Amino acid sequence: MLYDLAIDEELKQMDEEDALKAWRAHEIHVALKDIMRPIVTIDINYSTNEAIDILLTHKIGAAPVVENGYLRGIFSERDVLYKILNKQVGDLDVVGVKEFMIADPQTAHPEDFLNTAILYMARGHYRHVPIVDTENRPIGMVSIRDAISYLVEEFPKEVLTLPPRPVRDAFKAREGA
Amino acid sequence: MDARTLSLPISTLDYKQPTTVQVGSPVSVVIDLMQEEERGCVLVVDADEQLVGIITERDLLTHLSGQRAAPSDFKVEQVMTPEPEVLRASDPIAFALNLMHLGHFRHVPLCVWDDQDEAYPIGIISTRDILEHIAIFIENQEKEA
Repeated sequence: MLYDLAIDEELKQMDEEDALKAWRAHEIHVALKDIMRPIVTIDINYSTNEAIDILLTHKIGAAPVVENGYLRGIFSERDVLYKILNKQVGDLDVVGVKEFMIADPQTAHPEDFLNTAILYMARGHYRHVPIVDTENRPIGMVSIRDAISYLVEEFPKEVLTLPPRPVRDAFKAREGA
Repeated sequence: MDARTLSLPISTLDYKQPTTVQVGSPVSVVIDLMQEEERGCVLVVDADEQLVGIITERDLLTHLSGQRAAPSDFKVEQVMTPEPEVLRASDPIAFALNLMHLGHFRHVPLCVWDDQDEAYPIGIISTRDILEHIAIFIENQEKEA
């Protein structure tokens, strides 16, 4: 009995030590410049359909809208869902993307940590945060997916334990499910 | 957010109840539901409420923008991803993270199975749910610091 208690106590202690080690190893104090994706931009003079084609072609959920390289807004598939589909909004080959974009989005800087971007996305309900230079020109993008991918890579032992059922055609699956 | 957190069941997170539509419904109904309930996806079920597919914002963008056609012209089964990957609410959070990472999924339906091995949706876990969980952890760390 005493032996069992001693073993339990030791296991508990090991568990706590492992968890602490895990945390130290997996702090999310990584700079955004180290995980941001290359930027794909939409010119502010583009039509809505041209902007949608950019999202589809590059398989991205959102892109910064720029004017002469400077950030003016962000256009996402969520804007398409909430502002365009099922609504009478005119000819999308003519109506400009600036009518549907979100102006002056929350941004972060390349030296900021992932922690900062995660808090922006959680508090502001954003899925993407454009990374800008000191002149407010977009140079990268960080999304919820990038945060998740970073965590998965930082927790290989736990996360790469495959689910009990096989991942059917996961790599063939369409983006966004 | 440490190694132990990832072994906790998904049910410890604040996952959402599923929004469902029946097979045969027009896609315009899905859009209305997503707009009204502010959802990023809708699950498609058959007459017995068994899960048959999932429709996401990306599916709508891909099918409707490309075709330039009216949403009422499409049925949900033309747009949905059939037989999506699913998990149980009792599975570890790590399994959800793994599926989201490998499959590039933003949403994973949570199901229960009957004795015929048919899956019935009871919830949806999203990358946002996990992000919110991490954000709470970060905020608590900042308070302690």
